[in-house]
Amino acid sequence: MLKPYVCVACEKVIVAQDGVASLIALFSKIILTVPAGTEIPPNAVAPKEWAVFSIWDPEPGDERRNYFLCTQILYPDESQFGQITRSKFNIEVNKRSQMTLQVQGFPIGQTGEYTILSWVEENEKKVSDPIQFGIEVIINFAASPAGAAT
Amino acid sequence: MTCPICAYKNLSYPPRDYNICPCCSTEFGNDDAVYSHRQLLGMWIAGGANWFFGRAPEHWNPWLQLIQGGLGMYVPAQFGAPYINFQLVANSANVEPAIVTNRPNAYGSLALAA
Repeated sequence: MLKPYVCVACEKVIVAQDGVASLIALFSKIILTVPAGTEIPPNAVAPKEWAVFSIWDPEPGDERRNYFLCTQILYPDESQFGQITRSKFNIEVNKRSQMTLQVQGFPIGQTGEYTILSWVEENEKKVSDPIQFGIEVIINFAASPAGAAT
Repeated sequence: MTCPICAYKNLSYPPRDYNICPCCSTEFGNDDAVYSHRQLLGMWIAGGANWFFGRAPEHWNPWLQLIQGGLGMYVPAQFGAPYINFQLVANSANVEPAIVTNRPNAYGSLALAA
């Protein structure tokens, strides 16, 4: 059974020809600064590309299994953002599997701690406990310059 | 098949021959004979970017759909685009991989560029 080795959020993943991954700008918090008086709708999405990168340790025989990595993003109130993504593992014998989920937007409709959950499925059944980490979204309101028209 | 107007990915029928997108309601061959795709997209967004036919897919988000379809530039300001500062913070104290073990890496060291 695949075992998680690492799972992080970052801005970009670059994988070299030899398979070594460079993770650009790991993050655990997003600070948005918006004009004072801005109301952010609950379904707002910032068009910001980011990625969930994970590495998994296989056991003998895993290369013959039909494993999928599932990733779910939860709002601070635990409702779900977007769809659960399912990506097929490409497992080679005695090699760790690297998975990168590229996400085009980040939900910003709620402030607080978003939760990223990843788990392994086979035949649409969960076969691992989810691993999870949080990303905090903070929204700062920039004061309008004195005398500026609003 | 993807709707060329709203970027909905799961059209049941090709976007032609009077088929209708269940998301943005465009009737292909009719609406797009009168208006350009950008005009139709603008009208859909101006109307609230609501799901048209039946119930929207679970967790459907029109702005994410546009962004994923390469149409993020048309997302209205208040729904996500022009925030004056979008800062990713990587406090060393805060960035904790979900799981890290000390077992050797088959790929060699993981290169982390900050």
